[in-house]
Amino acid sequence: MHAAILTTALAAGLFTAFGAAAQAVVGQPAPAFSAVDTSGKTVSLADYKGKHVVLEWVNPGCPFVQKHYNSGNMPATQKAATAQGVAWLSVSSTAKDASDYRPSSDLAAWIRSKDGVPTATVMDNDGKIGRAYGARTTPHMYVIDPAGKLVYAGAIDSKPTANVADIKTATNYVNQTIGEVLAGKAVSQPNTRAYGCSIKYSDAG
Amino acid sequence: MSLLMRWLWPLLLAPAIAFGQGAVVKTDEVRAELVAHAPQGVSAGKSLALGLLIRHAPHWHTYWKNPGDSGLPTTLEWTLPAGVQAGPIEWPTPKRLPIGPLVNYGYDGTVLLPVTVTVPPDFGSAALDVRLKADWLVCKEVCIPQSGEFRLAVPAGSSTAANADAFAQARASLPPRASAATVQAKVDGQVLALQIDGLPADLRGKALDYFAADAGVIDHAGRVEQRWDGERLALRVPLSAQRSESPARLQAVLALPGESRGVEVGFAGPSWPPTAGVRSVAPQAALAAQPGAAPVTGVLNAPAASPIPLVMSLGFAFIGGLLLNLMPCVFPVLALKVVGFAKPGANRRQIAGQGLAYTVGVVASFVALAGLLLAMRAAGDQLGWGFQLQSPVFVAGLSILFALIGLNLLGVFEVGQLLPSGLASLRARHPVVDHGLTGVLAVAIASPCTAPFMGAALGAALTQPTPQALAVFAALGLGMAAPYLAASLSPGLGRWLPRPGRWMATFRTAMAFPMFATVVWLLWVLGQQVGIDGAAALLGLILAVAFAAWVFSATRSRSLGAAAFRVGAAAVVVAAAVGTWPVLQAQAGEPVATAATTQSEAAWQPWSPDALARVRAAGRPVFVDFTAAWCVTCQFNKRTTLGDAEVLAAFRARDVVLMRADWTRRDPAITEALRQLGRSGVPVYALYAPGDASPRLLSEILGVAEIRSALTGWPDRASTSPPAAAPPPPT
Repeated sequence: MHAAILTTALAAGLFTAFGAAAQAVVGQPAPAFSAVDTSGKTVSLADYKGKHVVLEWVNPGCPFVQKHYNSGNMPATQKAATAQGVAWLSVSSTAKDASDYRPSSDLAAWIRSKDGVPTATVMDNDGKIGRAYGARTTPHMYVIDPAGKLVYAGAIDSKPTANVADIKTATNYVNQTIGEVLAGKAVSQPNTRAYGCSIKYSDAG
Repeated sequence: MSLLMRWLWPLLLAPAIAFGQGAVVKTDEVRAELVAHAPQGVSAGKSLALGLLIRHAPHWHTYWKNPGDSGLPTTLEWTLPAGVQAGPIEWPTPKRLPIGPLVNYGYDGTVLLPVTVTVPPDFGSAALDVRLKADWLVCKEVCIPQSGEFRLAVPAGSSTAANADAFAQARASLPPRASAATVQAKVDGQVLALQIDGLPADLRGKALDYFAADAGVIDHAGRVEQRWDGERLALRVPLSAQRSESPARLQAVLALPGESRGVEVGFAGPSWPPTAGVRSVAPQAALAAQPGAAPVTGVLNAPAASPIPLVMSLGFAFIGGLLLNLMPCVFPVLALKVVGFAKPGANRRQIAGQGLAYTVGVVASFVALAGLLLAMRAAGDQLGWGFQLQSPVFVAGLSILFALIGLNLLGVFEVGQLLPSGLASLRARHPVVDHGLTGVLAVAIASPCTAPFMGAALGAALTQPTPQALAVFAALGLGMAAPYLAASLSPGLGRWLPRPGRWMATFRTAMAFPMFATVVWLLWVLGQQVGIDGAAALLGLILAVAFAAWVFSATRSRSLGAAAFRVGAAAVVVAAAVGTWPVLQAQAGEPVATAATTQSEAAWQPWSPDALARVRAAGRPVFVDFTAAWCVTCQFNKRTTLGDAEVLAAFRARDVVLMRADWTRRDPAITEALRQLGRSGVPVYALYAPGDASPRLLSEILGVAEIRSALTGWPDRASTSPPAAAPPPPT
């Protein structure tokens, strides 16, 4: 027997075909998508060519999402962005069979009740958009430039906690990114570490 | 909403905080206990172990130091007697916790997070009083951030070993450092390629789980390829497509799948490919507003292209510079220049030299100004073009300068006598220097007048990298100097110059009046900034300076009396300056209303980002007038087009909210808003249609027809909705 034992092993089979899908990469074209929003209209990323677009993964059942909505931080970020001509798409990739799934009308009502002002809220029940973007958490934030290029992927801010008091002292990466791109500057932190609850993806996706 | 959610709802609204009076905190998801292991008691100079023992309810889990794709690590915050030190958590080997396509690293069942506590040599208490605040995120499908406060007294004199088993188990599952292991790391595309030598023999040939201890680096759910080659393990760990961290040192735990047995390796990180520096193209609004800019679709097809190509920016800048010559605030300087050209005895060669010097002066000052502006931009200062005239002191200085030039032209004093003789002869000997300085002066006055086209070019320049921005400013200067350069170089054009004659003295006197007109304008600007007291104080200062200039000019003798007059005149100037200074510093809270306030003014409300957002959120169209008192174009538009009854009626009919952003004084919010619109100067006219996210920018020389056509196609409010309430009162 040969002295050198050659073993090729795959890592434990915890991982399925999902991860094989290419994830969105900052600096590359953002994956195109088309889906129905909470008001039943079809929304495509292509509709917003020529504008900056923010994608926000949302799930009202997640305490990290609540942190940023109950404090008014996320609605304020949405207002600031949309007032500057940025389109804001909130995306729900929560599977229908997840315990904290919210149907369209519920989700829209919840966001309204928090004074959220996204341009549209997109229902991604099968998780296709979320997987294409590699969205892992709620919230998980992305910024796309007017040419459809992904320029930011990561967290809403720099303090990965569930503590509302940390918002004040955190750097809001979305505001920072929008400020930079609208000023024509390079994005100083194009990738940050998203934090929050796992997105409960549908198995079917 | 499922029953579970209904039940969990109160818990989800706020992080659950459990205050334990003792060592145990119980929630529905975990039972957490502060435990100690001090089999020999607590003695000075020795160590003991403390830890948080977490029992998870079935299917719930908490997280490792790198939680993986989501989650948060548990944190422990110790309060211990002076000198007693708690070390970091000695994390047991975690488990892979897949959730759909994601993977977390953490613990379920029972886990003990131990720390080593050192007791100082002078410790003499009967018991060690331990307080702990712990934060953990516990998740199943939903996540709940929880927090507990714990207290425990560990007796010093007796043995504490009730949890000996748990501590022993935790020690056993703490991955030991594989001190003999050496790791070579490099980045190969989207893969972290590792070659690991010297791993313990009992792991050899086995499939291992790779737990990256550093968050934000690898794709936790990605497949790790591994290959044993004898004692060497080669790993290919997929990097996260959205990698946010580039650690100089990496750590990882290699463990047998499903077992707590493993080792920790630490190694120098590879040389990471850069992740920063991503740029965005400009939004459509900014593009559409730039005259002649490439169609948006064209830009979209070339994602890397800057908003407007550099050549086009340079072209606009050149044209903008040409037009600057026609702006009213530049005219006095041009008049000065004409006086210079018309000097007797100047031959063509000399004039060409003067033209070149003037050009150099203009271009150099534009570039210098740009350099300053860029340096300030780099410093993060909220500045924009025209900012000089936002400073009352600068305005006052300019008024005095123009008053002096006017007086000089009137013959009240002669510059040659006023300047030190050395400098005067320098001027005489070096007319080239003189003309260069005239160019510098021309720029100082031209800069606030943002002529048409210049806005786009400047906006583009300020958003471009430094070399391009400097080039744009240089082109602007060239454009401004071009007519004079051409006139001085071309014999054809040169022949148009008037012949020298006695008319020149008359002309020189006449030229004093544009100077004084400029002083009047500057005084009006200053009045806007600091009120009528400031304007009056400045007039006093000008009077004092004029008096001093005349005294210095008129008293040429070296007599004591003449000297006394001079000292007196200087004292008058100093006194006036001292009296004026605080007035110029005084920040008038509100811009003083102009006398020209008409009824149409009442329709305008002050702009603020909040006010704009509020009105737009209500779905109403908005017209924003970005203006400043010192901006002549703005004032012209305001009194003509924006004061036009037809325009105001058209706005009213469409229920357009009229907002005015007054940039007369430096206002960071307005500077920022202009920058976001791709501009750096005023005027800017932004029209927000209902429902449109970005505004349409109208041209800087605003016409009635343009506004009418912009509103064409908008429904009258009468035809679409019930008569709306009166416009909201100015806020």
